[in-house]
Amino acid sequence: MNNRSYISISFDDEVPLLEAVKKLRDNKEKIADVLSPFPVHGLDEALSIKRSRIPIVGFIFGALGAILAFGFQAWVFTVSYPLIIGGKPFFSVPTFVPITFEVTVLFAGLSMVAALLIRSHLKPEIKFTPVDERITDDRFVILVDTPDEEINLKRITSILTGINTVEIR
Amino acid sequence: MDEHFDFKKKYRNILITLMTVGILVTLAAIFITKPGASRIWANVLLNNQYFMGLSLGAAFFLAVHRVSQSGWHTVLQRIPDAMTTFLPVAFVLMLLIYFGIHNLYAWTDSSLSDKVIEGKRAWLNIPFFFVRMVIYFAGWIFLTYMMRKNSGALMTSADLKYHNRKILFAGLYLVFYGITVSASSWDWIMSLDAHWYSTLFGWYVLIGMFVTALAFITVIIWFFKRQGYLKYIRPDHVHDMAILIFAFSIFWTYQWFAQYELIWYGHLPEETSYYITRIHHFKVIFFINVGINFIVPFFGLITFNSKRQIGWVALIAAVVLIGHWIDYWLMIMPAAAGEKAGIGFLEIFMTLIYACLFIFIVFKSLSRGPLVIKNDPYIEESMNYES
Repeated sequence: MNNRSYISISFDDEVPLLEAVKKLRDNKEKIADVLSPFPVHGLDEALSIKRSRIPIVGFIFGALGAILAFGFQAWVFTVSYPLIIGGKPFFSVPTFVPITFEVTVLFAGLSMVAALLIRSHLKPEIKFTPVDERITDDRFVILVDTPDEEINLKRITSILTGINTVEIR
Repeated sequence: MDEHFDFKKKYRNILITLMTVGILVTLAAIFITKPGASRIWANVLLNNQYFMGLSLGAAFFLAVHRVSQSGWHTVLQRIPDAMTTFLPVAFVLMLLIYFGIHNLYAWTDSSLSDKVIEGKRAWLNIPFFFVRMVIYFAGWIFLTYMMRKNSGALMTSADLKYHNRKILFAGLYLVFYGITVSASSWDWIMSLDAHWYSTLFGWYVLIGMFVTALAFITVIIWFFKRQGYLKYIRPDHVHDMAILIFAFSIFWTYQWFAQYELIWYGHLPEETSYYITRIHHFKVIFFINVGINFIVPFFGLITFNSKRQIGWVALIAAVVLIGHWIDYWLMIMPAAAGEKAGIGFLEIFMTLIYACLFIFIVFKSLSRGPLVIKNDPYIEESMNYES
């Protein structure tokens, strides 16, 4: 992508990872990313990541799905193709409810997946070279954004003394 | 950690005063308005069912969490534990139904020549009715007592066997409760109109019980936090309670609608009679029921922030508590008291008596030990819980 350089700090447990994140942020280091094999509780807060806005997308599209499904059925059964079914009136709300419910769920679910893919720029042709393949297994990695590796490596090592790191490079 | 709830004289006095007021107004309402025996007994049954449901729902809450070995509820487990201590009292109150059984249940009249009821005699007869009642309560009281005893033992001892036993009895309770809650709802509510039946009635009642219990636990947490207790119950725990209230209110609506939709579609006279009575004579209450129990918790608790404020969640929970009282009212009253049914002084103040009695027993039980069971294996996880 570009020639920014990073320092990667590896851990084999989440507890020192959280400590290290807090310490690095206290020392005003720029953390580019944290990679972990599973969601770590408290990490979002430690990195001051804002809450995801995906639920809003879900709500809007869910509401849209509900209106569309209900409106479509109401139109079909009263205007477009009215049929007498079981002696019920053409416009009978209880029959519309299950489909309205299902379409609401479908719209909300799919829109949230789509929003996630679009917002995080996930496309099929993306190639990803992991910093360390073990981040998909048992390794936790912090990437620190740095303009000059030589000086910063020393500084970060000194910041992190006392924390159980596996590797800093 | 060693926090004790002090059941102050002030609280006792307030509860006893309210209960006395409730008893006086109820008696006055009975003698002045002359509501008729069946309406009075229907009120007794309604409140028995409602407050027994709170206890059973609380035990269900504990049992589910214990069987799944979840940690987060550990700091608040004494509250549902205390709520189950009402069950023996509920048993005595339920036995009172013996004196009003002829006013409530038409099938008790043995001179009745009714083909449908004749066919159900094997299940619906007075001796077996009370045998079943004793079996239900014996099981519930025994299993909740064992759950409470073993979790209470962890206050002083750190032996893991109590923890394991607690889980064992929770599992047994789930099985027993799953069957008996259905059967008891047929006995006490559905048989009010012995011609009518609905195959998912038991689930419907179960979910109602669970939602009320969740709401009541939340209200108690709110009250305790206001009084300065339970500092370690953080927004994360409140968030989880709110999620459960939200989810199970939706599930309740799902059940409500499933029952309504099938009966509406099938259009069989013996099934639709249930809804015809309720919609024709009690239209407003019928639609308020769905509104309060679905729309209020759904829109009230839908956002992230609204789930984390104990004051707001407790307000919604209080509305849900009233909503489910109305739900039971709709199940019981139109069938038992007919068109004479209504919500008046009698209903409100008899519920007040029961509520004071229930809260009194819960607080009494909570004041008996520390509010946190400090030897529970999950206590550390629960204290540091993040939702």
